[in-house]
Amino acid sequence: MKDPIIIAKNIHRIFGKEGGVVTHVLKGIDLEIREDEFVAIMGKSGAGKSTLLYQLSLLDVPSEGTLSIAGTDVLSLTESEKTSFRLHNLGFIFQDYALIPDLTARENVMLPLLMSNHTWEDSKNAADDALGKVGLGHRLNNHPNALSGGEQQRVSIARAVAGKPEILFADEPTANLDTISGRQVIDLLGELHKTGQTIVMVTHEEEYTRDCDRIIRMEDGKIVA
Amino acid sequence: MQSIYIGLLLGLRQIQRANWWTTVLIIFVMMLTFLNLVAVSGVLVGLIEGAVRAVKEQSLGDIVITPLADEDRILDTDRILNELDTVPDIAGYTARYKAAALLEANYRERRDLRGERDTATVNITGIDPERENAVTHLASTITEGEYLDEEEQGYILIGKYYIDRYSEQFGDIFDSLSGVHPGDTVRLTANGVSKEFIVKGVVDSKVDEVSLNTYIPEKEFRRIFGRLDYGADQIVIALAPDASPNAVRDTLVRMGQRDLAKVETFEEAQPKFITDIKKTFDVLGTFIGSIGIVVGSITIFIIIFINALSRRRQIGILKAIGIEQKAIELAYVVQAAFYSFTGSLLGMALTFFVLVPYFDTHPINFPFSDGILLVEPLGATIRFAVLFVITLFAGFIPAWLIARQNTLNAILGR
Repeated sequence: MKDPIIIAKNIHRIFGKEGGVVTHVLKGIDLEIREDEFVAIMGKSGAGKSTLLYQLSLLDVPSEGTLSIAGTDVLSLTESEKTSFRLHNLGFIFQDYALIPDLTARENVMLPLLMSNHTWEDSKNAADDALGKVGLGHRLNNHPNALSGGEQQRVSIARAVAGKPEILFADEPTANLDTISGRQVIDLLGELHKTGQTIVMVTHEEEYTRDCDRIIRMEDGKIVA
Repeated sequence: MQSIYIGLLLGLRQIQRANWWTTVLIIFVMMLTFLNLVAVSGVLVGLIEGAVRAVKEQSLGDIVITPLADEDRILDTDRILNELDTVPDIAGYTARYKAAALLEANYRERRDLRGERDTATVNITGIDPERENAVTHLASTITEGEYLDEEEQGYILIGKYYIDRYSEQFGDIFDSLSGVHPGDTVRLTANGVSKEFIVKGVVDSKVDEVSLNTYIPEKEFRRIFGRLDYGADQIVIALAPDASPNAVRDTLVRMGQRDLAKVETFEEAQPKFITDIKKTFDVLGTFIGSIGIVVGSITIFIIIFINALSRRRQIGILKAIGIEQKAIELAYVVQAAFYSFTGSLLGMALTFFVLVPYFDTHPINFPFSDGILLVEPLGATIRFAVLFVITLFAGFIPAWLIARQNTLNAILGR
């Protein structure tokens, strides 16, 4: 069994300020995710699954607790260091694809690669390769508005994995897709997992968790299973 | 370095994908901002410069010779005129003889001998009509009647300010004659000598020295005023197109003319207040134009702010996938730079290739001058740079305000 790559201890997330409306969304989450693991976080709406994903992926800051990713105490990083950490270690797939509409599919994938010091040529080759693997080798120069929802999500996956991140976070990646496109996306994630990619996915659809190693079930801000 | 690269890529792609008409409109606004900055001061200074040029072309020429401080007339005028003929850079010259006289009109029709006479105290200048016209194009200022003929005698040109239909708009400022037209007879009285002249033409120039004057042939002038010494009051010199006034002045000085008269270039001869007014108008124009800079900067600020605000989620996503904040900010600065640079460049081209040549040939008809658009390339370049730098800040600030927001809040639209 491999070592944990994510170690979260006593994670709390509280919204609002004293004297106003205070919402305690995460209530002392303890969690370890191992390298190569494909973990699904499930729960009803409002259970806190997306909020937990945001804490683990450094998009939000816990109100309390400690978080270590790949041996780094990530909560001690500055905003700029967190951005750099995300660039080099984490990949993201968002529910609504989150592509940059002004860029082509290829340029969307190239963007983080260019940011991490790859040359234009290297970035282009890596982007073409990643888009080829998600079946979009023929859509390299299309802008997002010329792609279907499923295709956009596959571009988003290509962008997330092109830089070979240590952990891939997916926030309900199939929520906006039809069944066939959703299945294709889950299959892609399954294939990535087989190559050793650590994946943390939030979903509320049980049928898409069959490739997962583990399902974390949440209820009212706590892990219940 | 990578941030610059990414910033340029994002900025250029946003420009490329932006609505074409919106882009044209923004560039147009920036062009107007630049024109406002350059043209306002250009017109104000040009208004004075137009007047100065007119004085130079119609009155004082490139070099002007006047009596020494303690003399009434230019000494040894003949010698000076002969020497002028030997200087190759001199295209033409005219000697003027000046005095004051009383001009009377309508005296033949006057029935009431106790009533007020129709008189005006006038400046009178004796000229060689041909030479004067060659230097100052006086004939082109004749608005009624005709110019003087070299061989004719008994004719006079009257400046418009001495005729009431032209000067009535100025109230009682000018001493004027009523109802005088070409062909009418007027009586000139000086030193107790009176002589009748037929009005040959009316001189209409925006140069006061020209319009507030009367002209008769120099031979008649000398007879009336008893000026038999041939000592001129003023000699005006026009130079060949590429000749240097300073060089010609120095040549005349080397000939010893400074012992006989005061020899000055036009620049030296013009009153200091003219240059002071030009500087004042330049400052005034820059001040008014700077309001345009503020307006342009606010325009860019609003455009970039709305642009960044409408892309707030995109900005959050970019930060989420690891794009540095400064790269995102640069993308918006690139857009501001593009709008500002393109607009100003078009403004510059419009100024130098259209407006300046146009107003040179079609001056603005101000009451006291034919106003041109005076824009110095260096001044325009400085204004270009100032506008550019200020709009960079105007583009950066809104981008910075939006990009510094919490990444997750930006993505979720909170």
